[in-house]
Amino acid sequence: MTALTRWRHVARQEFLSGLRKPAYWILFGVLILLAWGFAQGSVTISSGESIAGGTRPHVTSMFNQSLIQTVAVMGIGAWFLTIAAGMILPREAELQVEEVLHSTPMTPGEYVWGKFAGALGVFLVGWVLFLGALVCFNHVVASGGDADHLGPFALGNYLVPTLVFGVPQILFFAGASFFLGTWTRRPIVVFAFPVVVLLLTMTLLTLWSPSWLDPAVNRALMLVDPSGYRWLNETFLKVDRGVEFYNTTSLPPDVGFLISRAAFAFAGLAAVAAARRSVAQRLRAGLSAPAWRWGRRRSRKENRLPAGGEPAQAATSAAAGPGLAELAMTTKPPGFWRSVRVVGSSEVRDLLVRPGMYLFVPLILYQSVFSLAVSVGPFDSRTLLTPGAAAARQVNTLALLVCLLLLFYAVESLHKERGRRLAEIFNATPIGTGAMLLGKTLGNSVVAALILVAALGATAGLLGYQQVFEDSPVGFRLFPFVAAWGVALVPTFVFWTAFVTAVFCVSRSRHATYGVGLGAIVYTVYRAAFVESPSWTVNWIAWNALQWSDMGAFSLHGRALMLNRLLYLSLVPPLVAVAVAGFGRRDFDAARFLHRLRPKPLFMGFLRLSPFLLLPVVLGTTLHFDGRSGYEGPAAEDAAEDYWRRNTTTWTGFEMPSVSHVEMDLTFEPRERSVEVSGAYTFYNHRDYAYERIPLTAGQWDPIEWTLDGGKYEPDDRAGLFVFEPASPLRPGDSLTIGFAYELEHPRGTSRTAGPEGEFILSSGIVLGAFTPTFAPVPGYAEGWGQPETPDSKEYADDFYEGETEPLFGWGGKPFTTRVRITTPEEYVANSVGRLASEETTDGRRIVVWESDHPVGLFNVVAGKYAVREGEGTAIYYHPEHDYNIDEMSAALDAARKYYSEWFHPFPWELLKLSEFPGFATYAQGFPTNITFSESIGFLAKSDPRSHVAFMVVAHEAAHQWWGNLLTPGRGPGGNVLSEGMAHYATMLLHEQVHGDRYRIEFAKRIEESYGDGRYVDSERPLAKTDGSRDGDGTVTYDKGGWAMWMLQQEMGRDNLLAGLRAFIAKYNPDPDFPVVQDMLAVLREFAPDTVAFDAFADQWFFDVVAPEYRLSQATLEETDGEWTVRGTLENVGSGRMTVEVAAVAGERWLDEGEGAAAEAPGYRDARAVVEVGSGESASFEIAAPFAPEQVVVDPDVLVLQLNRSAAVFAFEG
Amino acid sequence: MLEVKNLVKVYPGPVAALQGVSITVSKGMFGLLGPNGAGKTTLMRIVAGLLEPTSGTVRFEGEDVVEEPRRVRRKLGYLPQDFGFYPHMSGKAMLRFLLQLKGVQASQGVDVLADELLERVNLAYAAKRKVKSYSGGMRQRLGIAQALAGNPRIVIVDEPTAGLDPEERLRFYRLLAEIAEDRTVLLSTHIVEDISVLCSRVAIMHDGRFVADTTPAEACSRLAGTIFEGAVDAGGLAATIHRYRVTQAVLVEGRNRVRVHVPEGAPPEGFAPVEPTLEDAYLLLARNGGGPAGDKGLGAENADAENVEPAAAARADAAE
Repeated sequence: MTALTRWRHVARQEFLSGLRKPAYWILFGVLILLAWGFAQGSVTISSGESIAGGTRPHVTSMFNQSLIQTVAVMGIGAWFLTIAAGMILPREAELQVEEVLHSTPMTPGEYVWGKFAGALGVFLVGWVLFLGALVCFNHVVASGGDADHLGPFALGNYLVPTLVFGVPQILFFAGASFFLGTWTRRPIVVFAFPVVVLLLTMTLLTLWSPSWLDPAVNRALMLVDPSGYRWLNETFLKVDRGVEFYNTTSLPPDVGFLISRAAFAFAGLAAVAAARRSVAQRLRAGLSAPAWRWGRRRSRKENRLPAGGEPAQAATSAAAGPGLAELAMTTKPPGFWRSVRVVGSSEVRDLLVRPGMYLFVPLILYQSVFSLAVSVGPFDSRTLLTPGAAAARQVNTLALLVCLLLLFYAVESLHKERGRRLAEIFNATPIGTGAMLLGKTLGNSVVAALILVAALGATAGLLGYQQVFEDSPVGFRLFPFVAAWGVALVPTFVFWTAFVTAVFCVSRSRHATYGVGLGAIVYTVYRAAFVESPSWTVNWIAWNALQWSDMGAFSLHGRALMLNRLLYLSLVPPLVAVAVAGFGRRDFDAARFLHRLRPKPLFMGFLRLSPFLLLPVVLGTTLHFDGRSGYEGPAAEDAAEDYWRRNTTTWTGFEMPSVSHVEMDLTFEPRERSVEVSGAYTFYNHRDYAYERIPLTAGQWDPIEWTLDGGKYEPDDRAGLFVFEPASPLRPGDSLTIGFAYELEHPRGTSRTAGPEGEFILSSGIVLGAFTPTFAPVPGYAEGWGQPETPDSKEYADDFYEGETEPLFGWGGKPFTTRVRITTPEEYVANSVGRLASEETTDGRRIVVWESDHPVGLFNVVAGKYAVREGEGTAIYYHPEHDYNIDEMSAALDAARKYYSEWFHPFPWELLKLSEFPGFATYAQGFPTNITFSESIGFLAKSDPRSHVAFMVVAHEAAHQWWGNLLTPGRGPGGNVLSEGMAHYATMLLHEQVHGDRYRIEFAKRIEESYGDGRYVDSERPLAKTDGSRDGDGTVTYDKGGWAMWMLQQEMGRDNLLAGLRAFIAKYNPDPDFPVVQDMLAVLREFAPDTVAFDAFADQWFFDVVAPEYRLSQATLEETDGEWTVRGTLENVGSGRMTVEVAAVAGERWLDEGEGAAAEAPGYRDARAVVEVGSGESASFEIAAPFAPEQVVVDPDVLVLQLNRSAAVFAFEG
Repeated sequence: MLEVKNLVKVYPGPVAALQGVSITVSKGMFGLLGPNGAGKTTLMRIVAGLLEPTSGTVRFEGEDVVEEPRRVRRKLGYLPQDFGFYPHMSGKAMLRFLLQLKGVQASQGVDVLADELLERVNLAYAAKRKVKSYSGGMRQRLGIAQALAGNPRIVIVDEPTAGLDPEERLRFYRLLAEIAEDRTVLLSTHIVEDISVLCSRVAIMHDGRFVADTTPAEACSRLAGTIFEGAVDAGGLAATIHRYRVTQAVLVEGRNRVRVHVPEGAPPEGFAPVEPTLEDAYLLLARNGGGPAGDKGLGAENADAENVEPAAAARADAAE
């Protein structure tokens, strides 16, 4: 037999053995499902147009297939492949077949390479199956409706990504884990390998890419990322290159990257060669010694017999030594708990001597606590950690990683006796099977407990560090951790361990259990992260289930979460029963087993199990029907859809009369989530025609008692749209009053899935707005409400804004007055729009009356157990423990009120309030005089002198008092720019005013980067055409909108622009015609000193899509008599034509001067030239400097929006 | 008392490992003798509650082992044929752990008891060494220690002397004999000497059936006068095997010492009558696959060279 034949035999045996393993069949199934998901577009490049008929990135393009290869191999394949390849030699050692195998002529090389090839072969079968399924789903069975995201078939689009991204990863993972398994013979090391690589890859190597990262470091990280994702993302995907590029271009060659990929493939094969060497060394050492050094030394020492072999006197006394009788032994089978203790403590000792604990605990801590330490909030701001937030944010990570670990430890523990050939002795002992399994489970649960304790300690350290070194007032408290982890994690771990144990006991297969376990975890987390949140009934891992608020834990999803936890805890007894019954303590007889599978024995088995199933069935059913009957259930959805179907044709576009006064009386019972409402709207016909019918939209509040002008009235109920027909039409200038009374619960019932909630009445706080009918009827027909599918982007005529335009948000018509009476339990403080007219406390109830001291366009209610910080005409209502940023926020609110009043329009109300609400949603809304802030915005942002994030968010939201309320934008393209874009512009102005140019520059850079990263080149439309319906419209509206106004300020001059904006607000407030961008530009043009330049600017930045991107080249430096001349070329590789400064600079520019202030550093010098370059053009420049320049910078004052600003710098050598 | 009735075990294949065996074992040492694959280990695993039979019943002291295997575990001392231990544990820790699992108690405490048990099996010197560094014989002795610990009502030992040197085998015999005084001990082996030394009663298995249930003395006595021994040169061995039923053939000082079973007629020339041994009886039965050991007509067929080899091997094993 030749070497080749022997190799082939080994490979074939391993291949066939692999094919028989259930885990591989599970993998094949997962890969086919994955291929189907990919073909549906579950992983696509963020590019193109999301609108129907728009250009979309092809899932079949080479770029998309490359993305798929990185995701699929790293995310799915690596787990299976590394465990399958890595476990081959440890398994052979367990089976003790090596000695026999190596007594044959087979060489270590034939053995090792054959085994590796066999294992790799099985995986490659799966991979080929996956690629075949991809091709099939993409090109053979794809329906016509999918055509917009499917391109033509091109073999290269599959082959090149496979070779560049797939094969190197596969060889690397397989080879490296094979080596680790061979070298150490430790399953734990094999299991740890993909975890380590995956965690490193998913954090440092792929996702970590701060804007300040050195390009050389970035490049190095691209080359050491085994997945190749970083290279793909940083080079091609991060900045959208347009769908045409992705759909039609091949991957451009990059020699360095290709060498890196080849190196990964080679490293995998080299690892196999190293494994061969390890086996050969081990053979020379007689197979008895572990291969790794310290193990070998210890092993030699332990094998050493005492001098002279076994003790002579003991041996000679064999025939006449003491007997057993004198030991007086008795046997009393240990009780249940004693058995549990004995088995459990043995498991703990076993855990402590194995390296896994010392490997996994730091690893999980790294992932959980480190990611917590560097987590960011809005505007990339660092987040202030409170104990509750810290505990809640770690829940998903800890659940996922600890479940993976428990899977491994539970399986290995259950398999241990069999693997060590102790099973016969162990199973013959009198301890009960239940005690045995529980002991093992409790022993292994030490892993989870240790990790939780370590995470708790590390988080406490983090909070302590924050307190000591970062002046945080937030200290460590144990309760949030006990509550959050006790509720969310402990039941998950208990259930998961029981589940894994049951699967192992029933399947009696280690690999099958790994397959099922990994499949369950991957499927659950994949669906939760990429498809949809799991319902409470199936969310066993409590993914995203913990919506934490320091203002009241569990107040939002408390019931659902508790039922969910109880459900999975209640499943533990049946799983234990299954495990105990199925545990292979006695090898079953095939004939009897078949006998037990007959219907009658099966039914009897089910009957015996049924008492255990009763509670889970009850809990599961309750949870299921709770979700169905709640506010996210089908009944609620059907009602909303019914509303849309019955009314959309009739009422869309119906123009309402103005509301002139709102009277509300609200009695809240926060603990019951309810409010008793009575009130009335007075309608005033501001139009020149009469109304015969007046519609109001109400929520599902039954019954509602309606009145019309004081008399009881039964309006026509059109599925929630109540139509009033007054006895005589409402003539122009006339008024009528519609009254209402009802009770409601919000949110009503239980949610279907875990997740955030925007408005609510909870014991932790109340936040309700009148945008939609959550607590107050909304005048007219609510367009789009209940529409089953997101409507296609509406095409507007160019002159759509002429005449009266409906408001973008709010009720339309003219502003109105309000009187809102709110009754709450005494400990609550309730705010609404306007000023506080009265406040009294009676019988433990607080009654406040808020009256508008100036008309408003909308109203809201917010309440909580607040502390108050009063400023100059401002007040901040906050959770008493959230006072970290109150000084900065109060200063920002004061400054906003003062300067925005000067710049835009005098603030017409007495008091500007800002109130915190529980962080069950992350948003802020600027209702007139009554801004609401989630606790996770601003209050828990870690403000620092460089970012002033608390200042930033307050400045933005406060600006909506002017840009949103005093001037409510019109509905249609460009409308929202007047709200969000203007708020960003106002924030830049306020930054500059309060903190100086340095921080305006920081803010401008942040939103510029946000625009560069978030824009979709293909779907981006001009500011005047952006309507929020397309991908990337958000960043265009906010970031580009703010920037456009800032650049317009440079164009017009600051005073001219501000004068124009004042005139603009004055013109449209209070006008029932709500303006859009075109209306603003028309007003501003009158204030432009150069209307030609103004028009050119507006054409470019408001009516076109341009994005300059500058590159410096051929920069030279020349010294003559102490004078320096810098020459170079500036190229605009982007689009648009702008005049931009180019500066030769030396030294660092800014010097921090205490809290929040900055000044130009004394050593800083610059000299500038002005260059104008259009799209694709180059222009040379020359700068004379009386100092030695160190670098050339484009746009040093950050005045021109550009892409890739960090690349527009040229540094001189030395 | 252990009662086995009509026990059948069929492995998938199908392979009938036990074909309806029945036996009753009372207190004392009971030997199970049989060639590899005879069904000894299958029977012992079923009795130990570690293997489910296809049919049949096993009762120990009136309790149904098949339906309630946990009941026998309370009374069981078990040493399987092939076993291991947790490699990272010391011998003492491993033994103490198993004593705790079995609920073994002693006035001196489990810790001291573990030391004393290790002393009994001559492992005291290696008590603190990790089990993974133990030799095969040491592991076997540790297994013996745990099997004999406590006060088991039934002790099942499967090939217990494998890997033991003569001194240790002697030590084990003595311990087992002590245990067997007032308990049921089921000893499975294919080493006839173990049975000869220890067992008051022996059953011989062949192809999943009992072919004999007797005492060693009775087995020998029924062969009395039928066993002859003589020397045969290499060239004459084949002819002797062809003509007579050879029970054993051992090479001694270059010549074959051959024992033949001649129930009727004249023995080969130069052969003298000798005392029959249990090994003679076992080999005759095992080779024949049934019939009483004392049946003088048994095995009238000619023995062949293939059948002689096990006998030689058995002798070699016994002399080891």
